[in-house]
Amino acid sequence: MKTPIEIIDNKTGQPVEAELFDEVTVEHFIETQQEWRPMVLKAARQLAARGSHELIPQHFHWDWTVKAPELNVLANTFYGIRYENKLQGLMKIQIVGEFCRCRLPEQADRSLVYVDYVEVAPWNLKVLMVALGEKPLYSPIGSRLIEAAVLKSKEEDCKGRIGLHSLPITEQFYRHACRMTAVGRDSAKQNLLWLEYTPEQAENFLTGVSP
Amino acid sequence: MADKRTMTLNLTDQEMRLLDDLSARKDVSKTALLRQALRLYQMVETRLSRGEKLFFEDEEKKKAELMVV
Repeated sequence: MKTPIEIIDNKTGQPVEAELFDEVTVEHFIETQQEWRPMVLKAARQLAARGSHELIPQHFHWDWTVKAPELNVLANTFYGIRYENKLQGLMKIQIVGEFCRCRLPEQADRSLVYVDYVEVAPWNLKVLMVALGEKPLYSPIGSRLIEAAVLKSKEEDCKGRIGLHSLPITEQFYRHACRMTAVGRDSAKQNLLWLEYTPEQAENFLTGVSP
Repeated sequence: MADKRTMTLNLTDQEMRLLDDLSARKDVSKTALLRQALRLYQMVETRLSRGEKLFFEDEEKKKAELMVV
């Protein structure tokens, strides 16, 4: 699947056409290691030297290449966003698995699509770029990936229900930009905050999402 | 969306009741539920073939290994 999507080039403020795709390969994982990781580590060092430890991305150690064996498992779907021949964001979702159950009381135990990993290229990561005194290059990459997860949830008859564990640094994004419901901390998953969409919230997000 | 193929599935009354019950509980169609089951089966098989084990853990953190045939 390859779908044209609109993102904003923040240098010009103009929309540009990027590509959302689900034919993710190990080459894309290697690209994140080669293109993203050095920049994330460099920024993390700069922020640490400055004493801004709370702004250091908590995913700076992620290594997508270890997920290569999961590429051919149908329980998972991977999505990428490409623009100007560069990977701008990457996401892994699960259609089935231990976290694919709703926790919100009004939809408890129903099936949902679990957003396992989301990462945007460091040059698009607002908290990181702002901390470094710059603007993210393209936006809203994270929202576009969440939009893809909601659409996949609808395709799988989960009616837009998605759930995820958020790192502390992205809690504000999921709470306020995506307007997901924060259900509570999960002691089984490093005490990360669990957030969830009902079908109605998912529909509102799809209606409201704009570049 | 990937192309899909159609097949006929013969189930016993008991199996059909289970499918009805689970699809209602999960709030997905019977087709979606069976597709989930197939994916789950593949995931379990893939991990077991790598030498991993499948456990259920109760509230007291007691683990029970699930044997899959």
